[in-house]
Amino acid sequence: MLGSWFPERIAVVSLDGKPVNLIDRPITKAFLMGKPVTEKMYYIRKDGHKIPVSVNASPIVIQGKPWGAIEIFRDITFEQEVDRMKSEFISLASHQLRTPLSAIKTYAHMLVDGYLGEVNEGQKKSLNTIVHSSNRMNELINTLLNITRIESGTIDITLQALRLDVVLQEVLNELSFLAATKKIDLQLSTAGKGSLNLKTDALIIKEVFANLISNAIKYTPDEGEVDIIVTPRGQDILVEVRDSGWGIPKHAHDQVFSKFFRAQNIVKRETTGTGLGLYLVRGLLELLGGDVWFTSSESKGTSFFCTLPRVTRRRRRPKEARADNKKAGL
Amino acid sequence: MAKILVVEDDRDLNNAYCLILRHEGHEVVEAFDGKEALEKLDDFTPELVLLDLLMPIMGGLEFLKQWRKAGQNSDIRVLIFTNMENSPEVNEAYKLGANRCIIKSWTAPHNLARVVKDTLEASSDVKTPA
Repeated sequence: MLGSWFPERIAVVSLDGKPVNLIDRPITKAFLMGKPVTEKMYYIRKDGHKIPVSVNASPIVIQGKPWGAIEIFRDITFEQEVDRMKSEFISLASHQLRTPLSAIKTYAHMLVDGYLGEVNEGQKKSLNTIVHSSNRMNELINTLLNITRIESGTIDITLQALRLDVVLQEVLNELSFLAATKKIDLQLSTAGKGSLNLKTDALIIKEVFANLISNAIKYTPDEGEVDIIVTPRGQDILVEVRDSGWGIPKHAHDQVFSKFFRAQNIVKRETTGTGLGLYLVRGLLELLGGDVWFTSSESKGTSFFCTLPRVTRRRRRPKEARADNKKAGL
Repeated sequence: MAKILVVEDDRDLNNAYCLILRHEGHEVVEAFDGKEALEKLDDFTPELVLLDLLMPIMGGLEFLKQWRKAGQNSDIRVLIFTNMENSPEVNEAYKLGANRCIIKSWTAPHNLARVVKDTLEASSDVKTPA
């Protein structure tokens, strides 16, 4: 299959196209660390053809001493192709769903806002239900689309000079409707002095905080409080999204950023979440070179903290790496 | 109040945007693809173009390439209104001189009116986030 019996003679490149030295190969790491290692990479055949592989390496340990290691690899060409097709399908389906949804949301809002004449209170209530439901559908589509893009490495970062408070105010404007339905006091404030200027991607920032703030609203009882506090620091800006909500049980803290995670105390109260929002938030912030963490006390509330670097550096995306590999004949 | 060209292929959304902007007192002309927009611009000089990207016949990027070639019309603001956030197309639109980009499915009518106002008031050489 590879044209060589000897692992050390097989050329290996990482998923982002960089050559992997023998010392960094799973079989060497498994031997040196004395524990199993699993990684995805490319093996290069003797004829130059590149094969994506999933590698599992395990150490051979006899009486506590490492004697060697065994490497098993699996060709994942087909799996990668299925992944790519799945991503394309979700992306296309999401775009197709969004256009009619935009029309539903826009017209319902137009009726509520009085652009098409007066409506009575009963009609307004029904229209608000349409707006609320279309927002939920929209959130779900956005989340699915963005997770697909992150996982397939096809998200594009557009760097712009922006003021963080202006972007956050835009997010608050969009969510004020949701906060008003629960009579939640939604406040944006700045702590300390310093510039709030960033060079980053405005739409990703909006997506991150739309998720965090809408979570805070959803998981806070009626007439509670949600505060967004922005603190400029040296090389980054810290944003705290603080709520007076139900909180996250301590035993679940380790799983908060996992895909599909939903805390048991929340599932009982709020049935509409997907458990994808915080997974997405962390993925998006990592793309921008930021970080996210939280503190929470059950029945008292939760604070999510995010750091955003002043200047986001464009990171090499797997898609670009793939294109480079193609050019290099890998 | 301003003169605005709305370029959007979805007729329901095009009608909605025209209605909202006329309600705010703007003079609005509509087009349903980039080619029709170029034709309308022969007789209509807007202060702002509200532009969709994905359209049949001629999309938003091709429209920008032709309309803004050799630095022409750079004093007219372009507000991209799309559902394709964080895509290469949005990056390309900025390179072709778009001033701002907002996401259709996120934007309520009263926010559209406000973003249009902000974009018109912003200095033409500063690109502002949505």
